[in-house]
Amino acid sequence: MACSALYRQSKLGTSLVDALDQLVEEGKLPPQLALRILDEYDTVVLDSLENKVTAKANMKGHLDIYRYCDNVWTFILSGATFRLAPTQGSSRRDEQEVRVEKCKIVCVDQKLAPGADA
Amino acid sequence: MAAEAGSSAVVPVEPDVDLTVHPSGIVPQLQNVVATVNLECKLDLKNIALHARNAEYNPKRFAAVIMRIREPKSTALIFHSGKMVCTGTKSEAEARTASRKYAKILQKLSYSVSFKEFKIQNMVGSCDVKFPIRLEGLASTHAMFCSYEPELFPGLIYRMADPKIVLLIFVSGKVVLTGAKKREDIYRAFESIYPVLQTFRKGGMISAPEVPAALPAPPPQQQQQAALPMVGGLQ
Repeated sequence: MACSALYRQSKLGTSLVDALDQLVEEGKLPPQLALRILDEYDTVVLDSLENKVTAKANMKGHLDIYRYCDNVWTFILSGATFRLAPTQGSSRRDEQEVRVEKCKIVCVDQKLAPGADA
Repeated sequence: MAAEAGSSAVVPVEPDVDLTVHPSGIVPQLQNVVATVNLECKLDLKNIALHARNAEYNPKRFAAVIMRIREPKSTALIFHSGKMVCTGTKSEAEARTASRKYAKILQKLSYSVSFKEFKIQNMVGSCDVKFPIRLEGLASTHAMFCSYEPELFPGLIYRMADPKIVLLIFVSGKVVLTGAKKREDIYRAFESIYPVLQTFRKGGMISAPEVPAALPAPPPQQQQQAALPMVGGLQ
């Protein structure tokens, strides 16, 4: 599960964790239910990203450093541009471009993640 | 060499080519040099992969760290035993400086490396004779050295005995030479194959012998193949 739990660190994930924490602290929610909800969140996020998200983005940059160890790829790019194409159903029509000086990309293979056997 | 007069008309001799070493006027360019070195120091590959830049380590697939540097552009395979293979450089000097740079990187990760038994293991060169070649003719007259299976690979594989070099010869006139430990071997191999290639030049060019004429009279460069049963066996 450790791999799919990656998305708990996203903005959406941390908000959910915070909200659940608060409810548990206030005694409005049993802790087991909170954990159950997080598990559900993990599977739903993975499923949505895989099957429901139609958004596309291109990125381009100069690869300064790469590393592959323990089934994790790390890339450090400089002068990276991200082009975010508008998705169907979004009100935005124009293509967004984000430019950053430095960018670190960490990629984990879902099937091979170190957490899968831990 | 007898071929020189004929070739100079077609192959423009580059200005600073030493014709005593390269009578053909063509200098094969080195494309890859593979070297090995013994660092005489046990290495913790995972630690290296985690701390060095541009390193890959996937022990399930390959038991070495694959590391790259940009200058000189090269790739190193670094093994637990402290042995290292450096590939991808274009000259002996580059292979040595690249290997030294890798050793330095490991030194910075606080391994007490030495730099022993540096050796060039293989060199690959290539060049273009700039005329098309009749590979079938070459394959049948030099059958002892040639393997030509166009259905498997479009190039003719020529295993020269001295120097011990393997040449890949293509219809287009492009030649790849590999298996050399010394640059001179590549040069010598090319100079000995060049006159042979000229005799198997595809017709229609200025100084090329007519195709039928070439067959009954084997060219003078082929004394070593004189005893071959296949001579003139084409068509």
